Amino acid sequence: MMATRSAEPPVDYRNLVREAQVHGSAYRDPEIFQRELERIWYKVWVYVGHESEVPNPGDFVRRQIGLQPVLMVRGRDGVVRVFYNRCRHRANLLCLREAGNSDKFVCPYHAWSYANTGELLEPTFDEGYDYDLQKEAFGLTPLARQDSYRGLIFASVAEEGLSLAEHLGAITEFLDLFIDLSPVGEIMLDTGAQKTQYRGNWKYMPENSMEGDYHGPFLHQVAFALYARRTGFDVSALATGEVPDVIRSLPGGHMVEDYRGAPIDPPKRAPSPSRLEYIAAMKTRHGDEKAGQMMRTMAPLLYVFPNLLYVITHIRVVQPASVDRTNVYYYPVMLKGAPDEINDMRLSDHEFMMGPAGFISPDDIEIMERNQIGIQAEGHDWLYIGRGLHRERDMPDGGRSGMTMDETHLRGFWRHYAALMGDGE
Amino acid sequence: MSDRTAVEAFVYREARLMDEFDYDGWFALWDEDGVYHVPVDPDPSAHTGRRVSIIRDDYPRLQQRVDRLKTGSVLAVEGQKGAMRRLVSNIEISTVDTAGEIEVGSNFILGIARTAEQQLWIGRTIHRLRQHVGEFRIARKTVFLINSTHETPLLQFLI
Repeated sequence: MMATRSAEPPVDYRNLVREAQVHGSAYRDPEIFQRELERIWYKVWVYVGHESEVPNPGDFVRRQIGLQPVLMVRGRDGVVRVFYNRCRHRANLLCLREAGNSDKFVCPYHAWSYANTGELLEPTFDEGYDYDLQKEAFGLTPLARQDSYRGLIFASVAEEGLSLAEHLGAITEFLDLFIDLSPVGEIMLDTGAQKTQYRGNWKYMPENSMEGDYHGPFLHQVAFALYARRTGFDVSALATGEVPDVIRSLPGGHMVEDYRGAPIDPPKRAPSPSRLEYIAAMKTRHGDEKAGQMMRTMAPLLYVFPNLLYVITHIRVVQPASVDRTNVYYYPVMLKGAPDEINDMRLSDHEFMMGPAGFISPDDIEIMERNQIGIQAEGHDWLYIGRGLHRERDMPDGGRSGMTMDETHLRGFWRHYAALMGDGE
Repeated sequence: MSDRTAVEAFVYREARLMDEFDYDGWFALWDEDGVYHVPVDPDPSAHTGRRVSIIRDDYPRLQQRVDRLKTGSVLAVEGQKGAMRRLVSNIEISTVDTAGEIEVGSNFILGIARTAEQQLWIGRTIHRLRQHVGEFRIARKTVFLINSTHETPLLQFLI
């Protein structure tokens, strides 16, 4: 008979989540990770990349959906497509390069070649195929479904399911708020990416990224002080007075930090000519009232289930590698149509805060690694996410809201997770 | 052409100050318009436009980096800190157009021993050194990591 490892009986994957508690095995159990691949990563819409990463015909980037390699390619016809990165012949990885530009993709194994629009060009030595090899039937396999929202390209492994519009639902309001930071309404992910990895479960990343106000004053104390000294902007002030409805859970497992109700003190120093030019352009596009509101408050931080985050300066992609290993990619967001100085400042702020050598995100990564160690202790195997449970409010969009440091959004994430992982929805 | 021995001594000394967490000693090697750069792109000139870096510090930010590393209350620094030693080799010295300055290329292998693992960092450093009275100051330091375009562990030390 096997020894019991835990003080409590083993928990069924359908019973991992209680109202304000999550079972530790959700971060630890390889079987649960396998089920997440099937029930989440190969079922729902997953963010693949942004159109600005492949601006020209033939441009491509390698990406992953769950553990499956895919290619996002702009064809010679100008259309962006997402294909499985796998040769139709004997399943070799078709394209090894992370990014580039090419008319065609040639498999290095037996040299089958494909157009950048996906059609099979040449199955080499094709006289050896003693039947009529239908080239049309051997093109690259596109993902079952592909769609986009304002340049953000999503794909789904599953043939059927919610439309992208249904999946995104109420979060489009918040996606709009950050994309509209561009005076022409277009963001650009054209500076490349910082890449790091941590020894911890992927779910720590969305949980941690969307609650800067609870852990911020403790975990990021040093960085916040340095940032305030440099810019005159005291981030920690956001947490000193808790504001209602900042923390939002949305249907579909999405999470938001909505700062529209929490204006920030204007910087003490006078705005630069570039800043004035930017404000004028924003007013022209959005009108005085909306532009003024956008300038007085911080853009929302948001999480689109399961892998897309927008955090202050950048789009962050969460890429699970295994139950306890996760890759993270930070793509700085540049604002098309904004003065150069505004984008230079955004990139500089990003480099200050983010990436493996930044002043903020490494503290979060370090915490996630320690979280994965802590969670090996199974004595009382339930995490508590109950802050603000007694005061959270139902919102018209079907989600719930809480005060600045509440854990309302985490409860929403886990409700959705439980629905996907359980037998029914 | 500078005296090769003096250049080598400077590069070795800088390596030792980094290995021994002598942050103030290291910072004192810099000139006040210094730029500390760890790019993602192995060849930044291949692109036009902005490219994100792993580190891109001007002198005031470098001061902040040193302040942060010194604090002792930064979680990531504490967690990532381990005994470290680096070997510096393949030193090549070139002259540049600016009077009183030289460029020094060198390779490094850096090992960091932490509780559960030993990390290995490898790369090439390009120093722009400026001759001050009897000593060098760093005007620019660019570090090309061999794995800069891949997922790296946290970089919470001096490289």
